[in-house]
Amino acid sequence: MIPTYYYVALGAIMFAIGVIGVLVRRNVLVTFMSVEMMLNAANLVLVAFAFARQDILGQVIVFFVIVVAAAEVAVGLALLMAIFRTRQTTNVDDMTLLKG
Amino acid sequence: MSDLRWVIWLIPTLPLLGAVATLLLARGERAAGMIATAAAGLSFAATLVAVWVLQTMPAEAARIESVAWTWIDVASFRVSFGLLFDRLTAVMALLITGVGSLIHVYSLGYMRGDSRPERFFAYLNLFVAAMLLLVMADNLVLLFLGWEGVGLCSFLLIGHYFDRRSVAPGIVPAEAAVKAFVVNRIGDAAFLLAIMLIFSRLGSVSFLPNATLGTPGYLERAAELAFVDVQLGPLGSIGVLTAIGLLMLIGVCGKSAQLPLSTWLPDAMAGPTPVSALIHAATMVTAGVYLIVRNHVVFSAAPTAASWVVGVGAVTALLAALSAATQFDLKRVLAYSTISQLGYMVVAAGMGAYAASMFHLLTHGLFKALLFLAAGALIHALHDVQDMRRMGGLRQHLPFTFRVYVVGALALAGIFPLAGFWSKDEIIAHAWFTAQNPAIALMLIASAAVTAFYMGRQVALIFYGQPREAHAAAHDPHGSMRWPLVVLAVGAAIGGVLNLPGVHWLSSWLEPTLAEPEAVYSVGKAVMAVVVTAIAVGGGYLGWWLYAHVVDGRIVPGKTDPALYYLGDIWRGAELGWGLDWLYDRAIVRPYRQCSAFLGRVVDGEALDGLLVGGTGRTFVALARGVRAVQSGHARRGLAAFLLGVVALLAALLAMTMR
Repeated sequence: MIPTYYYVALGAIMFAIGVIGVLVRRNVLVTFMSVEMMLNAANLVLVAFAFARQDILGQVIVFFVIVVAAAEVAVGLALLMAIFRTRQTTNVDDMTLLKG
Repeated sequence: MSDLRWVIWLIPTLPLLGAVATLLLARGERAAGMIATAAAGLSFAATLVAVWVLQTMPAEAARIESVAWTWIDVASFRVSFGLLFDRLTAVMALLITGVGSLIHVYSLGYMRGDSRPERFFAYLNLFVAAMLLLVMADNLVLLFLGWEGVGLCSFLLIGHYFDRRSVAPGIVPAEAAVKAFVVNRIGDAAFLLAIMLIFSRLGSVSFLPNATLGTPGYLERAAELAFVDVQLGPLGSIGVLTAIGLLMLIGVCGKSAQLPLSTWLPDAMAGPTPVSALIHAATMVTAGVYLIVRNHVVFSAAPTAASWVVGVGAVTALLAALSAATQFDLKRVLAYSTISQLGYMVVAAGMGAYAASMFHLLTHGLFKALLFLAAGALIHALHDVQDMRRMGGLRQHLPFTFRVYVVGALALAGIFPLAGFWSKDEIIAHAWFTAQNPAIALMLIASAAVTAFYMGRQVALIFYGQPREAHAAAHDPHGSMRWPLVVLAVGAAIGGVLNLPGVHWLSSWLEPTLAEPEAVYSVGKAVMAVVVTAIAVGGGYLGWWLYAHVVDGRIVPGKTDPALYYLGDIWRGAELGWGLDWLYDRAIVRPYRQCSAFLGRVVDGEALDGLLVGGTGRTFVALARGVRAVQSGHARRGLAAFLLGVVALLAALLAMTMR
């Protein structure tokens, strides 16, 4: 059986890739994909621990995360479309309206 | 006929309903005029019925009292909403509704083509209602409600042409309205103080004991206070009744346009001419005289206050008459003349000649309303020309107006046997014989001479001499503008019968209310009457002869009066109303405006808005300047900071659990 820390290590690597993707890439679409990567890294770790501890709760939470992620993508992509229509750009660095 | 007592409630209610109906229902000039005129006429009919009811009662108890409800009930301060219809009120109510109805009828013609007839007629009706409330109130507080009501209507009607930049002699209607209102406030404030003093010292504001409320009447208790003083701190002390009388006098000065609060009345001529006739000649301005007569007990018991009343009235009568002699605006002459004649009434009321005062009030109401309405007919005929320098020789074009105007002028000048002769002579005779005050009497005689002079001058300037401007299309009034003039001319001619010596219906009618000793007629008085009339005839002839023949050719529109060269600065002073306007402008209006400008610009603008409100905002902006840099708006930078924070937090947690 594959030890649990393999899964955890894989999850950590996926999460780090996601974080780096969010921080480095300027395209909003790629930022979204990176966020999805981070969510799935968390899901992987949850599933791995649930399996290791034989506790169904961890797997239930994963479904919640998937549902929330789907909702987030739906709202996020709608926002993205709206921004693209008005600003003709997907570059996250051009969106600085909240500058104080 | 005590079952007809409810009729007195109709008298003020009908014009009030008329005002509401005119405002809400009337569309168009004709409907508005008809509703308002009907309301005023019905009110007159109700007054006649009430007078008839009053007349059937025994003289000692000749009054109708009716309390509708308790208006104010705070501890011992109880005020009824009640009417009192006694013989004094009857006289006033007959004048108000009678002359008021005639002026309503006249207005039907005069206001034709006006842009706001509904408003005009509604306000006119509201005025009649407020004026009736003033004279019918059974207590001072309700009287004050009417007092303020007529002031409000005066304001509204002076400002009837509020959208015009200026009318006839260069008056701005909106400013004239505000001026009348503000000057009246000074008098009203003093009057209010008098009411408070009466309540605090006499414990009641009702004129007579009020059975419904159980309050005593203050008039019968006033004499108790004859020797009681009111302390004024470091200023010493003053008799209570004297203080009440003097405060009321200030109120009278405001409402009845006596010196030094007279400046609003000449400017009030910016209103439509029927308004000048009704409010600023026949009724509202006489409210002050009514107030003195109603409170005659107070003034009889306070000789100091009464002598101030006499002094103010006499000085006003003379100075205003001189001012009237120098005006070129048709209505301004009549306005100053009104101030002067009100001075006569105030003098009479101050001397205790209450019946003579009311008599002059009545006859003046008739002949001054006549003069104003005839002046309105002239203004109509000449298409809004009011400058007498632009008239002249109009008696061929306007024979009817000429005739009624001369009747009014002779009545005002006090020529035998017209109404003004009897009433004015009674006041002068009272001053000389009964009050034994030759100085006042001589001032009044001088005023009578000047009165005759300016009426002679006015008639000469308008109707005699050569026409200074062509008014070929000018025509006499007809229809609804004509017959009120006829009625008033008859009244002005024979109004003297009301109180002929030996008959004196008015004196004996008022005797139970005023408790005034009957006037005695002597040979001396008859001689005096002849002398005064001779002086008046002389003054009138001089004015007429001077302006119709001597200086006729030297009167040019826009130029000063030729008489200026004979009298110089006196003439100029009289023309400007003795500089009162100038004084108030310098002493009050300008400092007040500068003070307001300072407060508005510096205190409000700089200190409040600039320093307090703006300063608070600027402080926070300055404080936030350093923090603002963090909010760059870059999502990636924000996320990086967030990540660092989370890592730092986790590291700290880890460090704490490892220890």
